Amino acid sequence: MAYEFYKIKILIVEDNKPMLDLTKSILQTFGVAEVITAKDGEEGFREYCLHNPDIVIADWMMKPMDGISLTRRMRNDPRSPNQYTPVILMTGFSEKRRVLEARDAGVTEFLVKPFNARDLYRRIAQVIERPRQFVRSEDFFGPDRRRISKSGQKPYDGPNRRGDDKRIAPEVTEIDFAEREAE
Amino acid sequence: MTEHYNQTRKRKAEFIKPINTLKAKVGSGGLSEDILNRAQELLENNTVDFQPLAEMYLTSLMKGIEQAKEAGVDADKEHTISAMLYPGMQLKANGGMFHYALVSQMADKLIQYLEVIDEADIEAVEIVLAFHTTIRAVVLGKIKGDGGPHGQNLLKALNDACMRYFEKNKGNIGTVIE
Repeated sequence: MAYEFYKIKILIVEDNKPMLDLTKSILQTFGVAEVITAKDGEEGFREYCLHNPDIVIADWMMKPMDGISLTRRMRNDPRSPNQYTPVILMTGFSEKRRVLEARDAGVTEFLVKPFNARDLYRRIAQVIERPRQFVRSEDFFGPDRRRISKSGQKPYDGPNRRGDDKRIAPEVTEIDFAEREAE
Repeated sequence: MTEHYNQTRKRKAEFIKPINTLKAKVGSGGLSEDILNRAQELLENNTVDFQPLAEMYLTSLMKGIEQAKEAGVDADKEHTISAMLYPGMQLKANGGMFHYALVSQMADKLIQYLEVIDEADIEAVEIVLAFHTTIRAVVLGKIKGDGGPHGQNLLKALNDACMRYFEKNKGNIGTVIE
């Protein structure tokens, strides 16, 4: 048994053509049959609405719309075909405050450039095998900043810090987005 | 439930666990080592010419340097630093993807440096200029990979310049460099 990547669509949003082509080629080698591309966030959102891809891989720094704004739009725009689509953000930044900024925009995974084929694969496998639950609050909608526990790990059994909250996923540990990045 | 100051909690969050359609589509088992090795080989054998890209980012970095040199006292410090930081980040991101690992290593030091200084004063900008000059020399000299011992010496020289700056200008550092 192996992943049947030929069944999924991935959208790459990247303004650097050589980087876009390289990422596309790697995904095709992984077996992804349909790779859609866009050169900035604006075009990316149009393609996203049109194709409803299973995963979005976006660069951070793009003009006129960057990867962070694209993610916010995917999460909050009423035209968005799926608010829960995993977003893997590619960037040269690796400082914790940048990771947190991306996390707060609703990004699912963070891929630091330069990366190798296994790094990209690991991020894709992560969104498949360990999807994030989502949080909706007054000022945020996006993937939970904590992770559902890996099987075999002790589930969170501490006090419920938000007694009034509607908790749909019961097993949550305090695995932070940035900490996971450092794994 | 413990109430805080006897007040009703104002903010509520809803936790949603979306259906994992992605997993349902792709199934299990991961990818074979063979596929991953082929993908890595493809990446390592890419024939993209990094020089035009590097020149574009270096030009942008130089504009940022000029801007910082001309910036008056009223200039937005964060904006001034960002104008050098973003092209530095692009050099770091792309160098290693296209066979110039040493460019990525140097640009990474540049980013770390720019992330921790509070202000782009003259001395700080001189160091950014040294990064620019060195990275440009690496690109023009087509020094690929980590550049061997000579490349690592250049990297160390840049790092040492940063450390000397931090030692001398303790008041201009936002956080400790890691």
